[in-house]
Amino acid sequence: MRLGVQSFGGGMATLALIRRAIVDDHRWISPEDFARYWALVLMVPGINLLGLIILVGNKIGGAKGVCLALFGLLFPSVTITILLTAAYAKVEHAHLIVSALSGVIPATVGIGIFTGGQIAWPVLKDSWKRGLSPAIVAGSLFIGSGIAEGFSHHLPVVVILLSCAVLGALSRLPLISQRADVN
Amino acid sequence: MHYLLYFWLFLKASLVSTGGSGNLPSLHDDLVPRHWATNREFAESLTIGQISPGPTGLWVISLGYLTAGVPGSLLALIAISIPPLLAIVVQRIYRRIESHPSAEGFIQGLALSVCGIFIVILTLLLRSTGLNVKSVAIAATAFALAATKRIPIPAILTAAAIAGIFL
Repeated sequence: MRLGVQSFGGGMATLALIRRAIVDDHRWISPEDFARYWALVLMVPGINLLGLIILVGNKIGGAKGVCLALFGLLFPSVTITILLTAAYAKVEHAHLIVSALSGVIPATVGIGIFTGGQIAWPVLKDSWKRGLSPAIVAGSLFIGSGIAEGFSHHLPVVVILLSCAVLGALSRLPLISQRADVN
Repeated sequence: MHYLLYFWLFLKASLVSTGGSGNLPSLHDDLVPRHWATNREFAESLTIGQISPGPTGLWVISLGYLTAGVPGSLLALIAISIPPLLAIVVQRIYRRIESHPSAEGFIQGLALSVCGIFIVILTLLLRSTGLNVKSVAIAATAFALAATKRIPIPAILTAAAIAGIFL
């Protein structure tokens, strides 16, 4: 178990690697279970991949499985991350590094903005399918939260996040009756 | 620096986040005004998180190291490991709430606001680390290359490093 998990501690496309290892190669859990676990961890705070590996570890070996799975996933990648950062901290003032960073930092920003949009996109599309008013609610939560962050310097981010979440929940409440009608 | 508070700020950020970089808004909000981290350190650790193996969410390990050395990165590690444990709890109560549409609405509202704030903060990071024609052009190119979904992220970052040296 530990060896299996450790072997896929690295790599960028970690989710794809994990799926191949635990579903296809070792048959620890079924493809259906894997999909269910993934949907579930999307609703849990924190890094989704960690949540997934915790559920898999729990299913295979209980508390011991959870610890081994976490250790296996985190130990290699955390070690490498710390070493990379330490190496970077040593050389960060070298001229070459400074000029390379003047390219890498804007690129990270560009990639990050794309990723932010990419994550929000399915949610926006889902609301659009549900009708015009859910789409307007979703769009204004997305843009409104950005504006709130950009223009209010005294409002804690957590307040913006949680109020958007509560607004999202409230916006669905009338749907209960509509769904009941359909059924 | 107060380590207990430092740890709590990381834990809190991770608790109100979905996905790997979702803790960025809250951390930025808490660390920068206290002068425990700079905009530059945020930009640098996000970059290292993209390059290093494993989930990109491990960027906070890098942020921990840059702001408080090895103890900082270990505290960050513990802080990001705790919230995903809730997956086991959620799995148990899931059957009761899954049919309730407002549960999904809550998560969607959270996800949308995380993304909206995320984009604004990234723009602010770019402004504070030097906003000029070159940096905007590189950011826009990287955005376009990422949008093709065919070019691996490390390749884009390598190209950007070369562009940074020669432009």
